[in-house]
Amino acid sequence: MNPRDTETQTPPAELRTRDVNAPSETAMADAIASATVKGEQPPATGRTLNVDSLQAYYGDNHAVRDITLTYAANRVTAMIGPSGCGKSTVLRCLNRMHEEIPNARAEGQVMLDEIDIYDSKVDVVAVRRAIGMVFQKPNPFPTMSIFDNVAAGLRLAGIKGVDTKQRVEESLRGAGLWEEVKDRLGSPGIGLSGGQQQRLCIARTIAVKPEVILMDEPCSALDPIATLKIEELIEQLKRDYTIVIVTHNMQQAARVADTTAFFLLGDLVEHAPTGKIFSSPDDSRTEDYVSGKFG
Amino acid sequence: MESGTAGGVAQHELRQRFRDELSSLEAHTLGALDLVTMQIDRSLEALEHQDVELAEMIVADDDRLDGRFLEVHQGILSLLALQAPVAGDLRLVAALLHTIKHIERMGDQCVNIAKLIPITGWEPPVDDELLMTILRMGRQARSEVVQCKRAFTERDVALAEDLVRQDREINRANREVFRRAIDIGDDPDTREWAMTMVMVARAYERVGDNAVDIGEQVAFVVSGLFREFSDSSHVPGSK
Repeated sequence: MNPRDTETQTPPAELRTRDVNAPSETAMADAIASATVKGEQPPATGRTLNVDSLQAYYGDNHAVRDITLTYAANRVTAMIGPSGCGKSTVLRCLNRMHEEIPNARAEGQVMLDEIDIYDSKVDVVAVRRAIGMVFQKPNPFPTMSIFDNVAAGLRLAGIKGVDTKQRVEESLRGAGLWEEVKDRLGSPGIGLSGGQQQRLCIARTIAVKPEVILMDEPCSALDPIATLKIEELIEQLKRDYTIVIVTHNMQQAARVADTTAFFLLGDLVEHAPTGKIFSSPDDSRTEDYVSGKFG
Repeated sequence: MESGTAGGVAQHELRQRFRDELSSLEAHTLGALDLVTMQIDRSLEALEHQDVELAEMIVADDDRLDGRFLEVHQGILSLLALQAPVAGDLRLVAALLHTIKHIERMGDQCVNIAKLIPITGWEPPVDDELLMTILRMGRQARSEVVQCKRAFTERDVALAEDLVRQDREINRANREVFRRAIDIGDDPDTREWAMTMVMVARAYERVGDNAVDIGEQVAFVVSGLFREFSDSSHVPGSK
């Protein structure tokens, strides 16, 4: 199986949820492979995520209702809304992490270009490699060095046949961290500052060359300068990836996102270019939220 | 790799897109002053040679200034909504909003002048002295426009304050035009021409006032204080 370049994909046994030995069952990897000229880097374009009639449940709680939304390729889409509105739940549905929660389930379609990631034939591990996630609290693997933290992404996804050293350097450069850590790749990942740790996590995510990067409030644990650095990085990353970011910080959504989706009580209220959302939104609920009348 | 990612993001590169947008907005605003200078030049030529066609071009081209106003206005709203500028950046954005309005008014004054030219008729001007004074006023206004652009670009408060000195000369010339217009004759044609010229002079004088107003914005951007350089609502010496 060649999802990308000359890599072979053999998921570690503990992550195998179905028989993945038959290449034709890993539809996504196939599609990615066929989109890639063998032996070369894939073209620097992200992919579109199309969500159609997405529902999400925690047991009987219908937390996310009938969401239909397009996350455009090579764009940053922000999801905003008050606590409990469902934005993080939607995010977790985009890479099938929602179903890892006990009693949680999702219904509907999430299409990565032509592939429905919820299709029964799709390997969920391949989904999470193609659609990576960066979390709110930076979570480098605590016992690993900086180098191993980035390489771990490759190892966990079972990607072989790659020059690890080169891929680690590329990823650290891509995350804007290389110059700061190149002379201490062996030191522990947790020895870095908060902002650096978050960039390390981003490096780990992009090491496996995803199509989409999901970010769940990636800056809320960081100081303002570290936040701006991550935002600047997002501006660079979108050239190669499609980015979806959940944020509580409306000014951040305003600075960073091409389009912004406003959620309320499990519903998508409005999705529009960010400039419109923050100057003349169509829905009065959006207007009230962004101008701080409730939250 | 772009320099932004190759070595980490350097401090000065933070919010680069915002910096670029703000400086582009400033350039777009001040660039409109070049359009104004062009309109003033045309108005002077049209007055001197009674060129009605040139006058029509001035009127038509004012659409460009009106368009520029809308673009800058929209750009300012967008920057305020999306980037929440503070401190010096906020003062600059506020100043640009005022400035583009002053520029748009300058353009309207040029249109006023242009519309008065056909009224003066196809005959040569009635009074050379009056016409010369008006042309001098126009050149003075042009010089103020150029100077206010430079003052803003270079954030030069002294240069901005100097506009007051220049503007006094236009005001003096305006009073001269008024007096001369009263003196030059009794017949209706002459009076009509003279009254038209008074209105033209007034329009140039207003261009100068708008240039001074832009100078006041320069001082605001630099110091954070807004003050009128000269307040014509007070009688000189009474404050």
